[in-house]
Amino acid sequence: MMTFANVLRVNVKKEFLELKRYFANTLSMILTMYFIFLGMFFGIQVVGDPADVATNTQYIIVNYVFWYLGMATLQSLGFTISQEAMRGTLEQLYMSPVSAWRILLARVSGMVFNHLFIIVFLLFASMLTTGEWLNLNPVAVVPILLLTVVSMIGVSFIVAGISVIVKQINAFLQILQFIIMAFAFIPLSVAPYLVFAPFVKGVDMTRQVMIHGYTLTDFTALDYIALVGNGIAYVAIGVVLYRTCEKIAMKKGLLGHY
Amino acid sequence: MESIIEVNGIRKVYKKRKSKEAFVAVDGISFQVGKGEIMGLLGPNGAGKTTTIKSICGLLVPNEGSISIHGYDSVNDRNKALRHISAVLEGNRNIYWRLTVFENLEYFAGNRGMSKKEILPYIEELLDMFHLQDKRNEVVNNLSRGMQQKLAICVAMMAGTDVILLDEPTLGLDVETGYEVREILKRIAFEEQKTIIISTHDMDVVQDLCNRTVIINQGKVIANEQVSKLLNLFKTSAYKIHLKESLTEEQVKHLEHKFPIHEWEGQILNVNLDHEEAIYDLMDILKMNRTSIETINQTEVNFEEVFMKLVKEEAVS
Repeated sequence: MMTFANVLRVNVKKEFLELKRYFANTLSMILTMYFIFLGMFFGIQVVGDPADVATNTQYIIVNYVFWYLGMATLQSLGFTISQEAMRGTLEQLYMSPVSAWRILLARVSGMVFNHLFIIVFLLFASMLTTGEWLNLNPVAVVPILLLTVVSMIGVSFIVAGISVIVKQINAFLQILQFIIMAFAFIPLSVAPYLVFAPFVKGVDMTRQVMIHGYTLTDFTALDYIALVGNGIAYVAIGVVLYRTCEKIAMKKGLLGHY
Repeated sequence: MESIIEVNGIRKVYKKRKSKEAFVAVDGISFQVGKGEIMGLLGPNGAGKTTTIKSICGLLVPNEGSISIHGYDSVNDRNKALRHISAVLEGNRNIYWRLTVFENLEYFAGNRGMSKKEILPYIEELLDMFHLQDKRNEVVNNLSRGMQQKLAICVAMMAGTDVILLDEPTLGLDVETGYEVREILKRIAFEEQKTIIISTHDMDVVQDLCNRTVIINQGKVIANEQVSKLLNLFKTSAYKIHLKESLTEEQVKHLEHKFPIHEWEGQILNVNLDHEEAIYDLMDILKMNRTSIETINQTEVNFEEVFMKLVKEEAVS
């Protein structure tokens, strides 16, 4: 346990340092995301029903924040593996006596932790821009958000598994952005079967809290089973798939290849 | 000498992507490496050095054979084996260029599960040893190639393992930094009793640092011998003969038949005698045309020549 705590500590620090050292990149990413939000916001002002503008804006804010979180989390490990293979540092990660999947778990956790600050900034920036203030009850939001992130991490491991074999996955990551967008924006009331898709249930529950003022006691046991089950299932599938791909890569000698 | 690494008959076959044709990268390679030994792993490009190194590191699973490090199988007990081994596989590309010297050392040690308390005193020790103390807060991107290479070795040392694998540790370094890196490696091996495997094309490094060398060619071990013994072996069998007149075509033909490894330039003949009696065969050929000999000298060989001769002999056979 202490070993993983040490791995986690250095990976959180490394993710922070890279965001700081590539400051221009980080800043342009934040600005791009903010401009995308402005586009969405002004879009619904023009084409949306004026009677529903307030509600639609609130929906847009929540969906947009989850879209950003989903993109950052789901793409993170695939991007890490692809980039580290290109830099020449990937094999060093596999030379550690700590299993690579644990190091990647620490890496994605570090990424989520650091990006949460950006998300909070974007959330407040978007609320300030629109003048629509959401219910930010941390007692309800934080546990749901963390469980939602668990299923995102699971999918991130699936992407990591693919990228450990096929390193050039940039085109796939771009397509993934639109799939994540669909999951973040489509409500469960429209497509109930999406409850089985990663993080959709979590986004739905967060909407209930932030827009409709739900508290944790307002959800049913079935809601929690779906949320927790979704997280466990995707993490289990993700880690098993990743480790299988890792074994294939080691047999075929693909680990350090780009 | 106690064996730390045992490579037993490893074979690795890759399938080419398009043709699905099998390509044998290493074919039944075996050798042992003892505690505190510096072993050179040599071979021409495509000989199978990288496959062997990566298999020892547990980054590649061989199709056949096994590798044990401190008794732990590199595939089945991979994590336990990796507690005893660290490597510099891609030189200065093995480190993060946007992190500082200190941050790199801290990151890679932490990634091995080491606590901050364990790491800090060791970082100071290594920064002193590698003369990087004044660069500790410098971003790697701003360092010279030599400094980056030293840091990559330092990162491998930071793991505190008793086995270190180095792939081309002096590649691209200037003479001064190359010398400094060699001195550091000598110190690590002798003072800290580390076992070091060096894969390199720099024969000066081998001659200067290695106790023993394993030479591989076309996936097979063609020599596994002490460096000093190989040098002696080739010293006693290599001769430079100054002739008074040039050789005839017939003599050259006979020489080519009897001594496949020879060079002939005007009136100077360089020849390798693979057994003591071969000198009489050589004399017979020279006598054919009553060619007079001016001098016969035993040739001083360096390791580069030894290597070239071994690889050529293997190619001929």
